[in-house]
Amino acid sequence: MLLLQLLVNGLESGFLYALTAVGFALIFGATRIFHFAHGATYALAGYGFILGERLGLGPLASLGIALAAALGFGLFIEGAVYRPIERSRGAFFTLFVAAFGVVIAVQSLLELGFGRSYVVVSSPLSRAVSWNGLYIAPLFWISLCTALLLFGALALFLKLSPYGIALRALADSRFLIRTYGLSERRLARLAFALGSALTVPGAVLGALSTGLTPSVGAHIMLVSLTAAVVGGIGSMPGAALAGILLGLTETLAVDVLDTAWSEASGFVLLFLFILLRPQGIFGAELRR
Amino acid sequence: MISYLVDLGQLVAIFGLLAASLNLLVGYAGLFSVAHAVFFGLGAYTAAHLALAVSPDLLLGVLAAALLSGAASLVFALPALRVRGEYLVIASLGLQMLGSTVFTEAQGLTGGYGGLAGIPAPSLFGWTLESREALLAAALAILILAQFVINRLMRGSFGRSLMAIRDSESAAESLGKNVALIKTLAVALGSGLAGAAGALFAFQESFVNVESFTLDQSVLILAMVIIGGAGTLAGPLAGAALLLLLPAALSFIPHLPPTEIGAVQQLIYGLAMTLLMIFRPAGLLGRSEGGG
Repeated sequence: MLLLQLLVNGLESGFLYALTAVGFALIFGATRIFHFAHGATYALAGYGFILGERLGLGPLASLGIALAAALGFGLFIEGAVYRPIERSRGAFFTLFVAAFGVVIAVQSLLELGFGRSYVVVSSPLSRAVSWNGLYIAPLFWISLCTALLLFGALALFLKLSPYGIALRALADSRFLIRTYGLSERRLARLAFALGSALTVPGAVLGALSTGLTPSVGAHIMLVSLTAAVVGGIGSMPGAALAGILLGLTETLAVDVLDTAWSEASGFVLLFLFILLRPQGIFGAELRR
Repeated sequence: MISYLVDLGQLVAIFGLLAASLNLLVGYAGLFSVAHAVFFGLGAYTAAHLALAVSPDLLLGVLAAALLSGAASLVFALPALRVRGEYLVIASLGLQMLGSTVFTEAQGLTGGYGGLAGIPAPSLFGWTLESREALLAAALAILILAQFVINRLMRGSFGRSLMAIRDSESAAESLGKNVALIKTLAVALGSGLAGAAGALFAFQESFVNVESFTLDQSVLILAMVIIGGAGTLAGPLAGAALLLLLPAALSFIPHLPPTEIGAVQQLIYGLAMTLLMIFRPAGLLGRSEGGG
């Protein structure tokens, strides 16, 4: 029974990780930018929601603030940080250091605004209901449905909409995109907008269930990176699957080992994958 | 005031050595790592245990720490031989998180958050280095020696092969360079020097715990190298001095509530990192455009 309960908990965080990781994979697939500050987007969205709740704006308006924060930040970092660096040199490491600087700055801003400790939005949705001896909060069903709904919508968008097709084409060949007269720049912005928006459900549900600290961004960054690598860089189904896997690993590690090892267990997985199968579950051979 | 300056000088010397050791990997070998604090920590714990249980000899501690960290660096050399670029950064990220967890959890060896306290003052050739100034001199001597060795190595055949591998691995390989061996040696040397810096750090603080060896520390070391200028001899030292003086300088800002100093400092540090990468990606002392 404990195992089943842990499975449920693992799935709940797994779905949210999956959404965030898919956002990361979407951005990387289309722009070839390793968006190390993806976790900061998550943190800003979560705190945006908390801010809305504190001001007493109601859940819908708070959700709007969260979405606006995520979109605004995603587009800002694309335009103000990544774009100038890409243009001048494109060295990935310069990008990494710049993005990490942004992560640190965002974290300290949140600390100045909200304090260092955990902030939770209390809600009846996080109260667990006993169901055949299992304790399942309504949040579990909400995250399950949100994840499935968004994955479905994203798949349809990428498959059918002209913009979605253009995004996939951009991942394949930048040259052909230019030949067809499409703007690489606008598509990159679209990828950043979509990818950043995908952090919102995870961030809001995170604020409702476990709560957030300003340093949550670093954790989410690690989760997205791990999921992206384990799933195969740029593969969205891979990232989704790996995100769920990661949630399960973290929770099940609590059962087998100690709580302190639960986060580390994800990194054992990551390290093994990089050593043994760097192309990930679904990835093609490395091109470097 | 003098003792404050001496303490600051010691930290600059220790972190200068640490940044120089990471520069060996990042600047000369092109191996980007955010796990350097792990090897720094291994060295510190080694020296602390030796000083507590065997003898507080400075040379013994530094050498043992360097050897152990150098040997342990195989865990970083392994992914470094397999993958490059982003993948290596991510692998090192995983390594760093594992390292922090082990440092926190293996309480028998590291004391966890409680750490190892009461490390005695080091001795050198039978003299006890009681005064802070003496330890500063010792740290500076080791730093100068390390810089001298790095300089000689990088001008010699080893350094040239290393930089050739950084710039084009297949070209170097086709010229008959043993890529795997040279990379492994560079990693071992860089990590060994980080271990030596760890030993000095343990003696300087006379207390070590896991908080000095986290991801934040790794990123700070990396920032020192990058901000100073990777692949230059003086860059990492300048970066270390600059980033260590920043908190001291900030404490002079009036009307800043002391509880917020940490966050404001982090904010400036983060923004500085980002702006520098946008406007001067080669670092303050680095050659701009072209090389690297």
